[in-house]
Amino acid sequence: METMTGTDFSEWLRGRSDEHLRALVTARPELVTPVPAHLDGLAARACSPSALGRALDRLDRFQLAVLETLALREGPSSRAALLSMIVRAAPGTAAEEETGAALDAALDTLVTRGLVYGPPDALLPAPGVPAALEPPAALGPPAAEVFRHHPPERLDVLLRDIDPAYDGGGQADAGRPARQRLAALLSDPATVARLLEEVSPQARAALDELVWGPPSGRLPSARREVDTATAQSPIEQLLARGLLGATGEESVALPREVALVLRGGRVHRDLSPGPPALDGPVRDQELADRTAAGQAFMFVRMVEELCELWSVDPPGVLRAGGLSVRDLRRAAQLLDLPEWAAGLVAEVAHAAGLVAAGEGEWLPTGGYDGWRIKATEDRWAVLAAAWAAMDRAPGLIGERDDRDRPLNALHPDLRRSGAAQTRARTLAVLEAAPPGLAPTPESVLARLAWEQPRRRSAPREPLVRFALREAEHIGVTGLGVPAAHGRAAARGDGRAAADLLAPLLPQAVDHVLLQADLTAVAPGPLTTDLGRRLALTADVESKGGATVYRFSEQSVRRALDAGHSAGDLLAMLERHSATPVPQPLAYLVTDVARRHGRIRVGVASSYVRCDDPALLDEVLADKRAHLLRLRRLAPTVLASKTSRAALVDTLRAMGYAPVAESLEGDVVVARADARRTEGPPAARAPANPGLGPEAAAGAVRAMRAGDSAHRSRRPPAETPEGQVPRSPSTATISALEEAIRQGSRVWIGYTDSQGHATSRILEPARMEGGYLTAYDETRATVHRFVLSRITGVAGYDSERSETPGERAAGVD
Amino acid sequence: MSDGPLIVQSDKTLLLEVDHPRAGECRKAIAPFAELERAPEHVHTYRVTPLALWNARAAGHDAEQVVDALIGFSRYPVPHALLVDVAETMARYGRLRLEKHPVHGLVLTTSDRAVLEEVLRSKKIQPLVGDRLGADSVAVHPSERGNIKQTLLKLGWPAEDLAGYVDGEHHPIDLREDGWELRPYQKEAADAFWHGGSGVVVLPCGAGKTIVGAAAMAHARATTLILVTNTVSAHQWKQELLRRTSLTEDEIGEYTGTKKEIRPVTIATYQVMTTRRQGTYRHLELFDARDWGLVVYDEVHLLPAPIFRMTADLQARRRLGLTATLVREDGREGDVFSLIGPKRYDAPWKEMENQGYIAPAECVEVRVTLRDDERLAYAMAESDERYRFCSTTPAKIRVTEALVRRHEGEQVLVIGQYIDQLDELGEHLDAPVIKGETKVKERERLFQAFRDKEIQVLVVSKVANFSIDLPEAAVAIQVSGTFGSRQEEAQRLGRVLRPKADGGGALFYSVVSRDTVDQEFAAHRQRFLAEQGYAYHIIDADDVGQEDPAR
Repeated sequence: METMTGTDFSEWLRGRSDEHLRALVTARPELVTPVPAHLDGLAARACSPSALGRALDRLDRFQLAVLETLALREGPSSRAALLSMIVRAAPGTAAEEETGAALDAALDTLVTRGLVYGPPDALLPAPGVPAALEPPAALGPPAAEVFRHHPPERLDVLLRDIDPAYDGGGQADAGRPARQRLAALLSDPATVARLLEEVSPQARAALDELVWGPPSGRLPSARREVDTATAQSPIEQLLARGLLGATGEESVALPREVALVLRGGRVHRDLSPGPPALDGPVRDQELADRTAAGQAFMFVRMVEELCELWSVDPPGVLRAGGLSVRDLRRAAQLLDLPEWAAGLVAEVAHAAGLVAAGEGEWLPTGGYDGWRIKATEDRWAVLAAAWAAMDRAPGLIGERDDRDRPLNALHPDLRRSGAAQTRARTLAVLEAAPPGLAPTPESVLARLAWEQPRRRSAPREPLVRFALREAEHIGVTGLGVPAAHGRAAARGDGRAAADLLAPLLPQAVDHVLLQADLTAVAPGPLTTDLGRRLALTADVESKGGATVYRFSEQSVRRALDAGHSAGDLLAMLERHSATPVPQPLAYLVTDVARRHGRIRVGVASSYVRCDDPALLDEVLADKRAHLLRLRRLAPTVLASKTSRAALVDTLRAMGYAPVAESLEGDVVVARADARRTEGPPAARAPANPGLGPEAAAGAVRAMRAGDSAHRSRRPPAETPEGQVPRSPSTATISALEEAIRQGSRVWIGYTDSQGHATSRILEPARMEGGYLTAYDETRATVHRFVLSRITGVAGYDSERSETPGERAAGVD
Repeated sequence: MSDGPLIVQSDKTLLLEVDHPRAGECRKAIAPFAELERAPEHVHTYRVTPLALWNARAAGHDAEQVVDALIGFSRYPVPHALLVDVAETMARYGRLRLEKHPVHGLVLTTSDRAVLEEVLRSKKIQPLVGDRLGADSVAVHPSERGNIKQTLLKLGWPAEDLAGYVDGEHHPIDLREDGWELRPYQKEAADAFWHGGSGVVVLPCGAGKTIVGAAAMAHARATTLILVTNTVSAHQWKQELLRRTSLTEDEIGEYTGTKKEIRPVTIATYQVMTTRRQGTYRHLELFDARDWGLVVYDEVHLLPAPIFRMTADLQARRRLGLTATLVREDGREGDVFSLIGPKRYDAPWKEMENQGYIAPAECVEVRVTLRDDERLAYAMAESDERYRFCSTTPAKIRVTEALVRRHEGEQVLVIGQYIDQLDELGEHLDAPVIKGETKVKERERLFQAFRDKEIQVLVVSKVANFSIDLPEAAVAIQVSGTFGSRQEEAQRLGRVLRPKADGGGALFYSVVSRDTVDQEFAAHRQRFLAEQGYAYHIIDADDVGQEDPAR
């Protein structure tokens, strides 16, 4: 492996087609942020430990196993050699052709991602991969590593004991050759078998414990001076033969070579080319869809109810942000939900931008008004999408943080960096589940662990469980089974989700059943208009698929207060009732109406009182008094809407001599009943920091361009013909667009920030927001150019046909 | 979208559309685990309560059946949370069992050790249990069988009582079906009770609960203690038992204020049982006087608190509760469940009416208006006097007279709360008045005269609320009541629900003062009946003279 250098890899990379490079940077977008100047830069970055770490994290268990197998082999490997090892590691799980196909797919992925390179008959792991994989497949360190700190005398003793051909090395530099000799011996199956024959069964059992990992164990005073003659315990027998080596004062390890021999030519024990199957109860898919739709309907309504509650009675924003426990409890009570579910409703509403913090209170946003008037299925799609992309973990609400403080809903502390990604992956697993299957959380976790074995699963597990619980609550799954609309939502296809959901939702009804016990039952969601009117006239008693309303004196009075007459109400009820209006209900309405409004209450700021009605007649008749908006309540009393001071002043100006009377009674101005905040829209994490095809193509072009400059070591290009190109701005734009589309180079005139006219040779990548992003060949870097400062464009295509990428593409 | 008759609400109520073709089927399926809460004309409301679910478990239904019934009949998707809740609630039942033990008498055992540990930690349970007999069982003092059941229910871990019942002293009792026979529902009710062991039967007034009691006694064939509300009722029970069963006069004892007989079948009043002298209940020994095989509680909704406590000690005996309205204004329905037993049978009033077992009744609310001077006085009255003031307005006397005139020739009961008002009515109507101070003998004479139609109009106070059997009463006029008591209203309607000889209907008038608390209380009182499907028709007092109010 020492022979393999970065140069080989970089040359291989250079020889890949543009299409391959685009696939590479699409799969590993971190390689082009920022875009490297040339392909050597790309190769170096691709082999850096951090980039490799991220790439390895994205591999599934099988891909990782293939890579580990390859990395453990000496030198280049052929596909056939790999296949034979993989097949041995996957006994009985699949037919050889199937495993072969899986291997090809895995290799394809690994090559595409630049983790494996070379021709099919001589595959190599990319530089840095073996180190990044360390320790691979739960193997211990190589013998050279295990015995590194053994003094030469010990090695000497060891080799004498186990190697009949050993004649004693030279004293001077015995260390290194002795270690190499030991490593070679331990890699030899015959030698290992011979050594195993010599030890006791207990020692063999101890070794078996370590074979499949963990490959090390604790042993007090591990560095013992033992040889085959003095060895007592089973462990000492192993130490004396180099089958175990002391790696520290109190630890021993199984050398990698020994483990590989003991594994019998396999690297992995039970390797499956496919992911573990999801398991769980199987239910009727149609029933699941219906149940999920019911839950979706409920969830939408919960969000609406919460927003309605908060628009008239907003809870305060805690000083540290978030919603207080008490306010959450109140919401939970109102919505008749457990607290975690109420917290989820609030969080999703927030993530969807329907509520935000404004003026120290949580208030619905203007966005809520727009959302509210949409169809239920569309509203759900909005919520489901917001939930899926949310980088927060509402499931943590009510739990305690490191400092033992409760985690509040809507609090910044609920952000979890992996939340959105874990949820997305969980949804992807659900999306792919067979119809009717309700996967158990354990099997989902097992699947995720297979898909990304290198990610630590400990912090992920609660997030997955939250995601599953929330999916059920939001109506993505029903009875645990992913619903059709839920699958569409999981794919991110909101339109399809809404279309699938729509027929499952209860149809709006325009009639109610009126009953003599003064209740009305709406056997489904009411049309908006009727729903609003009934809600005004009666109190809601029970909610769900249907709504039960109860008429009472107070509720009828409320409707009358809102300006309806008894006749209106009865006509409305008659129109929307399938049966005649029950007599007690009709009686109630007329009875309340009979008494309604007999006492009148008004608001006046001040009054004018005078024992002489004639004088008041005079005041009223005066034109100057119009501004005072006086109204005669009784012969001797006038009411006014102006303030007492203004009244007194005006009357004085009119020539009267009024005296101010003290009085109690302030005007109570009702608070505006529905408040809104603009608030900052809820921040949405980019669901996937992926690279669009345009960006990938641009990055590849830029690197190719840089590469050719880099390789030719050309000095920065001067203006080709010594003058700056000029063209009209529309022509500039269209020329640049054309260049982007074709991936060609252009020569531009550019006014730099100091106002100097310059010229550059660019490979334009993309144009957006008044900027051109392009690889600047003149300065060998990617740069953003202000479009308005580009004075002109001219074609510059001299070397295009000679780029190595094109050549490579021709060969492929 | 299915078109089932049932709508499952998120607050655990079930709405059943009664005109739906599958409504009957659905009703049968949900009745075991949901309480009928309201039964007005179009949509009946059931409620799924923990109690009802445990009842269903006790009757051998499992969560899957419940979930299937809900999903199968539901028009809309059933809220997932509700299904989970049903399964969880039902799973709580039977984790703890009360069993007989050859050595320790009674033990509490568990199939889930954590639950036992949890309940044993409760301070309320500790005094009720004895030694720990092992990891999964603990001894229970036999006398605490009722208390521990009651307490466990409150803790949410109802115990399945497998300890069985004592047979009691054998005594032959047979139904004597000569010229009458047990109605189907009475038989079903008695059988349901017997198979369940203990429990409550809910039947409308006038549907023959006494006969259900008699049928239960015929099942038990053992000495029986019957607890009733008052002496008159005790006499009626005795007459009914003599008529319906093989029991003879000598076998039935009365244990009332005046007589203290203890016989194979003994009828005692709640009042006697709860009489205290020098702080002790003097008549408690009655419970131990014989080895009773059956204890019958009449009007179980009125069971006074001391009787509850005494009943806690009677858990080894079979107990039958009878009532028309399992609505307790004190909210102790849970105690009835744990001490007497779960509801074993229930029949909606309107269904009984449709089958002709109770008289069809029409309820009419008559509104009277206070005079202006009365309104002023009403406005100034102290709040605790207001109800009395407005419910005894002279206007009510006038309209009552008019109503009685309208129903001349029919048997009319006038029922009220306030003695002054009743006396005044008695004078105006020239009718006898039965009130608390009226001697039992005199009461029975008057009731008999009323039954024999020698008296047409009878004015009664709340002493006649319950258990008074007046088959020929066709019209009841209620002038005042115990504030907003729903069960009183139902019981008073019950006075006129006995099927009439001529097959005619009954009329129930409730006279109410408009725009007063009387009207508010009336609205509350009427709720139970309105929910049973009795639609109140409202008329104005001024109209009583002119048109036929029963139209």
